[in-house]
Amino acid sequence: MTSLVLTVSETLRYRGAIGQWSWVLHRLSGLGVVLFITLHIIDTSWALLYPELYVEAIATYQTPLFTIGEFLLVGAVVYHALNGFRIILIDFRPKWWKYQERAAWMVLAGAAIILIPVFIGMFGHVLNFYSGDSQVLPLMDVLRAQIPFVVGIVVAIVAGVLFSFLQGLIAGGGEKKSDKAGSAVERFWWSYMRISGLLIIPLVFGHLAMMHVIQGVFDITAANFTVVGTDAVNVSGTAVEFVAARWNMFLGGVAIWRLYDFGLLALVVIHGFNGLRYVLTDYTAKNPTLRRGMVYVSLIGALVLIIVGTLALIGTIDSTAIEMAQRAAESLHQ
Amino acid sequence: MDVTFKIRRYNPEIPGKDKPYWQEYVLKDVEPTNRVLEMLHRVKWEQDGTLSFRRSCSSGICGSDAMRINGRNRLACKLLIRDVGAKIQVEPILGLPVIKDLIVDMEPFFDHYRSVMPFYVNNDPLPADGRERLQTADDRAIFDDTTNCILCACCTTSCPSFWANGKYVGPAAIIQAHRFIFDTRDQAAKERIDILAEPDGVWRCRTVYNCTPACPRGISVTRAIGEVKLAIMRGSPKGIINPKDIPTHE
Repeated sequence: MTSLVLTVSETLRYRGAIGQWSWVLHRLSGLGVVLFITLHIIDTSWALLYPELYVEAIATYQTPLFTIGEFLLVGAVVYHALNGFRIILIDFRPKWWKYQERAAWMVLAGAAIILIPVFIGMFGHVLNFYSGDSQVLPLMDVLRAQIPFVVGIVVAIVAGVLFSFLQGLIAGGGEKKSDKAGSAVERFWWSYMRISGLLIIPLVFGHLAMMHVIQGVFDITAANFTVVGTDAVNVSGTAVEFVAARWNMFLGGVAIWRLYDFGLLALVVIHGFNGLRYVLTDYTAKNPTLRRGMVYVSLIGALVLIIVGTLALIGTIDSTAIEMAQRAAESLHQ
Repeated sequence: MDVTFKIRRYNPEIPGKDKPYWQEYVLKDVEPTNRVLEMLHRVKWEQDGTLSFRRSCSSGICGSDAMRINGRNRLACKLLIRDVGAKIQVEPILGLPVIKDLIVDMEPFFDHYRSVMPFYVNNDPLPADGRERLQTADDRAIFDDTTNCILCACCTTSCPSFWANGKYVGPAAIIQAHRFIFDTRDQAAKERIDILAEPDGVWRCRTVYNCTPACPRGISVTRAIGEVKLAIMRGSPKGIINPKDIPTHE
């Protein structure tokens, strides 16, 4: 913790140029997105696994707290994507380092240019929803719904550190002098972050456009609405039917949205949790047990999300699930 | 002009001064062309003999007077008063243990330096004339920039990755490794690449770019680190730097 406190306070005091602030924003936006995808993947899996819970989760998304969060999320994704592109370009062409400051400003300008129309589009959905006679859950209910996630995150951290501690007891402490295996691993991750980053950019922009701009989280529960990217109509007006329409959409025999979502799931989760590992291990260097624990925390997070996400993507949402969701939606707003 | 110095003081041997604290000194008749180091001398010689800092050559060559001046790492001997203004804040560089006032323990820094084999390795017999191993101007140009390093630690102690994690080898050691990795006459590039490929080697560089403007020798530090990363990825330094891209090289 001391090294995190020191780095944060001294980063604020050190008069670094824009490169330093780009790095700060890159870390913060990355951490924010990792936190969100943790919630998002788990509760989207409920569309298949626990339809009633999914209805509640979407209802919590349709509240002011998450609306503010949604704007921050989209801002974070757009900034992280553009700045990541800047990092990748100069990593592979170090001679372009002279342009990094200009590129950092261009990233900010580019993010603003993209975000202004996007935010206007998103704001249209927000205005439409809150000015109508929509039911909005009280803040306390929204916060209460997040308790399981907080517990889950704490459990993952405790489990990771405990596992690392036990490993230290069994394998013995002490640090390796030379780390050949570690070198190969880090080389792989350095490439993975860059290649996956490039692949994620078009996928995530497409996802944001469909789910946050063209149709927002508020349209998910609109009845008799054609679901984006499909020719199906969400007759029941439940979030579960919305997801079912997308995942059951076939084009040339291929469930394109399942494939799309699986690509996003695998690339983003591994990218995000490896980034989390970078951040966590940077600030736990003084304590080898804690540092190794942070690697396990990142690993646990990534594995849980990929398993849960894959389970949801290979299943089929049937009409019973939609009926359950309908009943849940009715009881939610009574 | 009058100049106010606000200096970070610390003396572990004197009760009451064994926690870092700020102390102010006002100097009169300062010329804008005076150097910061000369003014620190005046503080020490005219006002407070207990003020401690390192300096040796006082001319930007030995690299012993790196300090954080007005929030940025610089060499006090290369910085003029007119470039920092009448209010000057001086503190030790960050990430290395402070011994007293502006003096830090450089040993961890030099340990990282030593870890990258910062010396020329060539075990071939000498050329027939028994004199030099010749090299083309182009081959010399690709590592010219990194030969300028004076090991002042301005870059390494400007790096947030190093502040957080003292095990990170740091920009200066990578610069020193770059100087030999890209020297075509040297034969230990592979060993250095292996050392820097370790988890606390080059990968802890997050391209924050604080190191590049901190370098008092104008080395493009982050570029050089990027080139070492590419050499590690490809397993060899060959073909990574095009001599035509070196600005000073005709």
